Amino acid sequence: MKAAHELLIVDDNPADIALAREALNACAYRGQINSVEDGAEALAFLGRRGNYANAVKPDLVILDLNLPKRDGHAVLAAMRASPDLRKIPVVIFSTSQLSRDIARSYELGANCYVSKPGNLTEFFSMMKSIEKFWFGSVKLPPRGE
Amino acid sequence: MSTAATKLQVEHSPQAKPQLRVLMVEDNPLDATLILRSLRQGGFDVNATTVQDEAAFLRALRTHNPEIVLADFNLPGWEGMGAVKVLRREGLDIPLILVSGALGDVSAVECIKRGATDYVLKDGLVRLPEAIRRALEEKHLRQERKRAEEDLASKAAELARSNADLEQFAYVASHDLQEPLRMVAAYTQLLSERYQGKLDADADKFIGYAREGALRMQVLIQDLLAFSRVGRKEQSCCSVDCNAVMRDVLQILEASIKESGATVNYESLPEVWADNTQMVQLFQNLIGNAIKFRGTEPPVISVQAGAQPETPAESKTETKTEAKDHEWLFSVSDNGIGIAPEDVGKIFAVFQRLHSRTEYPGNGIGLAICKKIVERYGGRIWVESQAGGGTTFKFTMPLQPRESKAEASQP
Amino acid sequence: MNGDEVDILLVDDSKEDVDLTLHALRSENLANRVFVVRDGEEALDFLFCSGPHSDRSFERPPRLVLLDLKLPKVDGLQVLERIKKDDRTRSICVVLLTSSREERDMVRGYELGANSYLQKPVDFTEFRRMVKLAGLYWMVINRPPINSAPRSVEHAL
Repeated sequence: MKAAHELLIVDDNPADIALAREALNACAYRGQINSVEDGAEALAFLGRRGNYANAVKPDLVILDLNLPKRDGHAVLAAMRASPDLRKIPVVIFSTSQLSRDIARSYELGANCYVSKPGNLTEFFSMMKSIEKFWFGSVKLPPRGE
Repeated sequence: MSTAATKLQVEHSPQAKPQLRVLMVEDNPLDATLILRSLRQGGFDVNATTVQDEAAFLRALRTHNPEIVLADFNLPGWEGMGAVKVLRREGLDIPLILVSGALGDVSAVECIKRGATDYVLKDGLVRLPEAIRRALEEKHLRQERKRAEEDLASKAAELARSNADLEQFAYVASHDLQEPLRMVAAYTQLLSERYQGKLDADADKFIGYAREGALRMQVLIQDLLAFSRVGRKEQSCCSVDCNAVMRDVLQILEASIKESGATVNYESLPEVWADNTQMVQLFQNLIGNAIKFRGTEPPVISVQAGAQPETPAESKTETKTEAKDHEWLFSVSDNGIGIAPEDVGKIFAVFQRLHSRTEYPGNGIGLAICKKIVERYGGRIWVESQAGGGTTFKFTMPLQPRESKAEASQP
Repeated sequence: MNGDEVDILLVDDSKEDVDLTLHALRSENLANRVFVVRDGEEALDFLFCSGPHSDRSFERPPRLVLLDLKLPKVDGLQVLERIKKDDRTRSICVVLLTSSREERDMVRGYELGANSYLQKPVDFTEFRRMVKLAGLYWMVINRPPINSAPRSVEHAL
C-alpha cells in the first residue's frame, strides 16, 4: 500500500495553520499534516533533532515567510544547502505581495509562490489547488533516508 | 582722498519725518550739497554719508547701513557702476540711483540693465525725490513678496510633510489591520458554515452580524489602502491610450454591465502621460458609479474627451493639434439618479456617502480616489448634475508630461 | 510572433504531444502566448536570448517552461541545468513534463532545481487533464518571480 503523504506546514499563525487543516480536510486530503510555528522549529523538524528525532521527512513543505527565530527565506536557504533536504518541494504561502519577497524566494530555490488570499473561500480554493497539483499530479521525489 | 562724513543738521519739525539714510558716492562737494538740498525740498529728512572710493564705500555700507545709494557715474579712480558691483557682491538689496551729468558712451538704459535702479541728471535734480520714493516703494514690494513666497513655501512643505505622515499612517494602519481582520473574517465564515442551524437561532444571527461586520471592515481597509496607495505608490508613467484603458475597464465591469443592461459609449479618446493602473482605477470608479447609481432605465454612459472644449458638442470636432490648449478635458456622463446641488461639495470627501448602505452599496471612497489621482497629475475634477437629471463628471489631464515632483518626495 | 510576449515556452519534439498540450492549454485560454521549440538547443537560445532569439530580453522571460527530457541536440536535463545554474535565468519556473519513467531522471531533475516534475500519462484524456491542471496552477495560482499581478482566482481548480 502506498505510504500516505507527509506535509509540513510552517506558519507562525496557529489560526492560519488550523485554517489550512480545515481546507485540506475539505478536499479529502488523507495524508499526514505536521505543523511548526517558527523557522528554528522547522529546521529542527526537518533535521530530526531534539523533540523531532522521530519525525518523518515531508513530501512537501508549505512555508510562510514571516516567521520568528528564522524567517521563511532562512529556512529555505538552509534546506537548499542540505543534500538531505534539497529536493523537497517548497511552496511559499505568504500574505506578502512584495515583488522582492517573491523574487528572493525563487532565487533561494522555492518551487513556487502562492499568495495567501484574504477571504475564506479563496483560501480554501488555493489549498485545494495546491493539494491537487502537488499530491495529485506531480511526481514527488522519493523521501529517501 | 579722505572720507568726509557729512552729517547735516537733523531738521526738527512738528511732524517727525522718517530719516532717510543716504550713502552718496560723489567727489564734488557742490554737487553733493545740491543733491541733499533737493532731497530736503522733496520732503526727506536726510542722514547722509559721502564717499569717493570702493574701500570707503564698503566701510560706509557697514557702519551707515544706508537705505539708498546715490552715485555719480564718473569719479576719478572709480565709477558709479562699481558701486552696483559691490552691492551685488555683498548680496545687498539697496537701490542705487545714478545721479550724474552726461553719461558719455554708455546709455542710461544700459546702466539700469546692469543693475542701477534709476538714473537722474544733475541738472534735473527736481526728479530725484520722486525717483527715490519709487525705488524704495519697489524694494518694499519686493520684500513683501519674498516674505509671502517664503511663507507659502514653508506652509506647503509642512502640509506635504503632514500629508506624507498621514498617508504613511493610513498605509501602515490598513496594512497591519488586515491580518487580524483576515482571521476574524475567515473564522466567522467557518463558524457560519459549520454551525448554521446547529446552535440556536440567536447564535446564527450573532454569527451573521459578526461576519458582516468583518467583511465590511475588510472592504473598508482595502479601500483605505487603495486611497493611500495613490499617493505613495511609485508611478510608472508612460503614454497611456485611454481607449485601451476603457477596454480594460469594460472587461472588469463586465458582470455589472450585463446585469444592469448598461451601454457604455466612448470614441477616439486621446493618449495621456500617466500611470496605466491609476487611469484604469479612475475610469473604473467613474463608470462603476454611473452604473451603480442608475435610475429606472438601463444606464447609458458616455465618455468623451477633447482639448479643453467649452461644450460637449465641440469636443467631437477639436483635435489634438490645437496648439493653444494645454490640457485634455474628459467627461463621463450618465442618465442616472443625479446629484442634488447641495451635495455636490461633499461627494469627493473620503468615506462620504449620500445614500444609506441598503440603498446603494459602497464605502464612499471611489470619488476620493478619483480626485486624488487626477490632482496628482495636476488636473481638476468636478461634477455637473441635478437630482434626477443624470450626472456628468469632468476632469482635466495635462497634455504634456508633467515633471514628476511626486517621485522626489516618496517615503 | 513577438518573442517578447511569451507566457509559456513548450519544449517538446513530439508533434502529437505538442498538439495535445496546446489543445489542453487552449481550453483554459492559456494558449495565446505559447512558443514551441523542438530541441534543447533552441530552448537554450530562446531563454538565453541568443542565436535566432537574440532580440529577446532577459527582463521578460516566459512565465513557465514546460520541458520534456528526451530532446534532440541538447537533452532536457542539460537544458535544465543550464537554466538553473545561471543567475539570469535560474528563477524561471521550469516544469519537467516527460514520458520518462526513470526514477533517476526524476531525482536528478529535482536535484538540478526543477520546479516540479510531471510524468506524461499514457492515456490522452489524463494527459490533457494534467496539462490543464499544470497550466492553471503555474499561470494562475503561482506568482512568478518577475513582477506581475495575480490573475483572477475564478479559474480555481
